[in-house]
Amino acid sequence: MSRVQRKNSAAVWFLPPILKGLIFTFKKMLSNLSRKNKMLTLNYPEEHYSYGPRFKGNHILTVKKDGSLRCTACMLCATHCPANCIKILASEHESPEVEKYPIAYEIDILRCVFCGFCEEACPVDAIRMGPEWQTAGINGSSFVYDIKYLAKRDSLKGGGVLSRVDDQERHKAGI
Amino acid sequence: MSDKLIKCEINNKEIEVSEGTSIIEAFKKLDQPIAHYCWHPGLSVAGVCRLCMVEIEGIPKFQIACNTKVTEGMKISNQSEKIKAAVRWGLEFHLINHPLDCPICDQAGECELQEQYMQFGKYSPNMSENKVKKRKVVDLGSKIVLDSERCILCSRCVRFTDEISKTHELGIFNRGDKSEIGIFKDKPLENEYAVNTVDICPVGALTSKEFRFKQRVWYLKTADSICTGCSTGCNIEVDYNEEGLFRARPRYNKEINGYWMCDKGREIYRLPNRIGRLWKAKVPSSDSDKSSYSIGSVAALKKIRKLFLEKGSDGDSYSKNGLKADEAILILTAQYTTEEYEDLISFFLQFLGSKESIFYWKNNPENFDDFDGLLLRGDKNPNTKGLLEILQKKEALNPWEHLQKTLEEKKVGTIWVAGPENQKVYPDIEEKLRYFESHCENIIWWTAHPLLDSQKVWQIPIKTFFEKEGTIINFAGRAQKIKAVSFFVPSALSLSESVVILRGEELKRSEPPFLKAPRKANHFTYRKKVL
Repeated sequence: MSRVQRKNSAAVWFLPPILKGLIFTFKKMLSNLSRKNKMLTLNYPEEHYSYGPRFKGNHILTVKKDGSLRCTACMLCATHCPANCIKILASEHESPEVEKYPIAYEIDILRCVFCGFCEEACPVDAIRMGPEWQTAGINGSSFVYDIKYLAKRDSLKGGGVLSRVDDQERHKAGI
Repeated sequence: MSDKLIKCEINNKEIEVSEGTSIIEAFKKLDQPIAHYCWHPGLSVAGVCRLCMVEIEGIPKFQIACNTKVTEGMKISNQSEKIKAAVRWGLEFHLINHPLDCPICDQAGECELQEQYMQFGKYSPNMSENKVKKRKVVDLGSKIVLDSERCILCSRCVRFTDEISKTHELGIFNRGDKSEIGIFKDKPLENEYAVNTVDICPVGALTSKEFRFKQRVWYLKTADSICTGCSTGCNIEVDYNEEGLFRARPRYNKEINGYWMCDKGREIYRLPNRIGRLWKAKVPSSDSDKSSYSIGSVAALKKIRKLFLEKGSDGDSYSKNGLKADEAILILTAQYTTEEYEDLISFFLQFLGSKESIFYWKNNPENFDDFDGLLLRGDKNPNTKGLLEILQKKEALNPWEHLQKTLEEKKVGTIWVAGPENQKVYPDIEEKLRYFESHCENIIWWTAHPLLDSQKVWQIPIKTFFEKEGTIINFAGRAQKIKAVSFFVPSALSLSESVVILRGEELKRSEPPFLKAPRKANHFTYRKKVL
């Protein structure tokens, strides 16, 4: 290890900055002891930090009022995805009002960079970035989220998340 | 149209066109931008979309370019602000009732409405009334789905069924904003050329059931090729990606197919796709529990060379198990390129057999010379003419009866069959194969799709027409070059490549043996700087 040997006179006065640092440390320690609720660190597994509503975490596929998927399989999210992690398989729906829907929708979450382009590209508010960010898994396969997990996982409290865009309302509005 | 040339000026550029040319054709010839929907070069002029407005010097009002003929010294332009506004408002009227379906519309990405809005429109809509709702997902037959809301009533499809297929299935019904395309009761759109209406539809009103929702078009690349469905040899373009081919569409060739192709020909896109292809060579096994096992095609051909072609004990004659070389038979189907026939026949004549033991397998003699008057021919092989020419040149054109006679008379060692790539058009293929099998010791069978698992059949995977280069000659003797589109089966070989290995030479592949799935080009990120 090489050391820089400073020759100037100021370098000799090393003691004041050290003292300054120590004073800061002790100040923090005392304030943490006296005012515990203002402490900056968390006891992580027991305590969680709640992020703002715009946080980009794991994806959620939203649902319509009848509980079916909002996604129309237009592939705009897959097209815009810079990490190429979205795979969609489209099919023909029996109802002519729906016409096209996904029969498979997979996100490779290890590949995802959480940029949020999918959310931005979606024309019908079918995919959102949710608040979840703790994505532990046992092996690689548990990181490929399938359509069921994305839409109706347990943490979404059953039923899934309702989409803001409704076809019936749009038709009524004359669009 | 007479040969007399007349001069005119389009957007201050001079051009000479033959007399009788319409203004829009002159625009297309000069590559000048002009908006249009209803005009199609292969159809009659309808003049219903009113978008191809041009200003002609000396005429106070705008004229439509599709229905106005060029005259001597005409000065035409469509660059003034006035005319641009006319086109823009014309376009807005077309789009008033057009639904915002682009996310689920199959046409998105190749839609003329999208393209022309970006080129000539770019207005903000002023319509405050509700959109008129029409029928969606209407079944027009076994091939086509109609969406009336998306239709802009350009009448191209109606004119197609009236003028080209002459079946008159489609019509425009009702009036005003309620008018829509439809079929008559009990008469679905089922003619042999129906899917052409999907190609000429400028919007997503007509979509093909075959391609519907399979892929978004921006994921597909396009390559030029030739249709191998019959001996007409229509020029086509195929859309493909690393997963395989997805559809075939006609490409303009004045001499052969014009702007059209038949629906049977569109099905050939399925042939090179991986599902159902012979993935590896199948070699007869000596085990009792299974009749064959799979090895690489190069290894299989080397094995064939060792068994059937290596020099015998007497030094100069090629033999196997005491069978003389002239007891081999070569059967050819007309589904290969001319170059492949050259290579295989000269190899066969050099090492295996005589001119008398080459046969040409005609698949459907009873309707071989059929022709429906437009494009579809009974001869379902792309290169019949090429094969016959070579056989005549080599004086090896033997009648099929001779083959039967030879097979009945004596025990044949090996039958080498260059099998058809499109097995569907050979209805008697399995029956024939069993017949060959019972009359010989071994069959070397070049095929793209596995057929018969037998202890006598060696199956070698071949490249389909979309994976190799070469020449095919159509019914009229017109030679057309084809280029490799992509590679889908890594161990597939063309006949020429097989012959190289059979000759004992090292195979040098000029192209990559296998197209690896490339990373998808993401235009949003790649072209960010230009956007």
